[in-house]
Amino acid sequence: MEMANTRRIDASRETVWAAIQDPAMLEKCIPGCKEVEKLSDTEMTAVVVLKVGPVKATFKGKVQFENVAAPASLTLVGEGTGGIAGHAKGSADVELAEEDGATVLSYRIKAQIGGRIAQLGARLIDSTTQKLAAEFFNRLEAEFAEGGDADTALEPALSAAG
Amino acid sequence: MNGFAYLTPGDLAEALALLRQGDEASPLAGGQTLVPTMKQGLAAPETLIDLGGLAELAGLRVTPTHVEVGAMCPHAVVAADPEVRAACPALADLAGMIGDAQVRNRGTIGGSIANNDPAADYPAACLGLNAVIRTDRRDIDADDFFLSMFDTALEPGELIVSVAFPRCREAAYLKFRNPASRFALAGVFLARHEDGVRIAVTGAGTDGVFRWSEAEAALGREFTATALAGLAVPVEDMLGDLHAAADYRAHLVKVLTARALAAISQRA
Repeated sequence: MEMANTRRIDASRETVWAAIQDPAMLEKCIPGCKEVEKLSDTEMTAVVVLKVGPVKATFKGKVQFENVAAPASLTLVGEGTGGIAGHAKGSADVELAEEDGATVLSYRIKAQIGGRIAQLGARLIDSTTQKLAAEFFNRLEAEFAEGGDADTALEPALSAAG
Repeated sequence: MNGFAYLTPGDLAEALALLRQGDEASPLAGGQTLVPTMKQGLAAPETLIDLGGLAELAGLRVTPTHVEVGAMCPHAVVAADPEVRAACPALADLAGMIGDAQVRNRGTIGGSIANNDPAADYPAACLGLNAVIRTDRRDIDADDFFLSMFDTALEPGELIVSVAFPRCREAAYLKFRNPASRFALAGVFLARHEDGVRIAVTGAGTDGVFRWSEAEAALGREFTATALAGLAVPVEDMLGDLHAAADYRAHLVKVLTARALAAISQRA
């Protein structure tokens, strides 16, 4: 399954660039995320509880950053397993462009879901994935809309990124 | 399937108190979605609170203005009730089209709308008939109840007590079903009220049940097939999956709306 979309975020490109790699920010924005842990500059682990209707499964996985071209584009590659529920893997190509002091974020997501959850939920996987992606970016937008809270939180990350 | 505790409260207050005790407790209505999900290991509540013994949620009653169905009333009872059929034949028809005989004997209206599966039938009746969902703490209009697929206005620990359907002039429910699952690939509930037309569509929208307001306005002005002719639901809002592509579902919605209109016109 593939999907693509574009979002406008009211923050500078550098700020958004730092945000999408900041474990604390990802933890806040990924729907159902319980924890994100940074292993290195390009590697993190995450625990996400997926709740769709009656289904509730905990996925544990790894996220890596590839093709990093700061602050314009990167690819997030992830893989996770949810025990008996199944497994998921996917990637997101993210591009950031400047526009009148704001940032236009474009993403293209490829995802593959397998195992029991895919067999039973085939009719729902596409719309669920779209909904989760939309919620992620809604939360990200909200973080920047809520009075610069996100900017403050990200200052150390920004200076570390140089 | 994982082990779980099974509790059988005797009334609504006791059920609510049990639900408040933990996150991992789940209310059990007819179990037609929850139990198969548990059997597959895709859900593992620690406690099931069976609502079957709650008199407050049982039965149904037909008044001069409403058909009020208790949350635990099974589909088969609604389908076979002569008073429901006389007051709102479309509602009885819809209940009779849900799933198969086993699902209709066990499944309940409360379970169906609390789950809000994007292809379930009852959400279309609630939205089309402008129902009020009565819970243990408040009344919620159907327009405010269904938020998006599998998502409703219900708070954690809130239980549906009954659903009150206002009686309308006439209504029809038409469904094109997946022959295997019997879920709606598209289902259209068309209702003519004293103050206008409501059209609720299930099974087709990416965000679950929705109202087709453009067609409502058109049929409100002129209740004929001609009024529908130039209209179309936006393909980008339609669900596409291995059973039916988005443009096919958009087409089905229009065809079913026209058939519902024809069914009402023939009856009149």
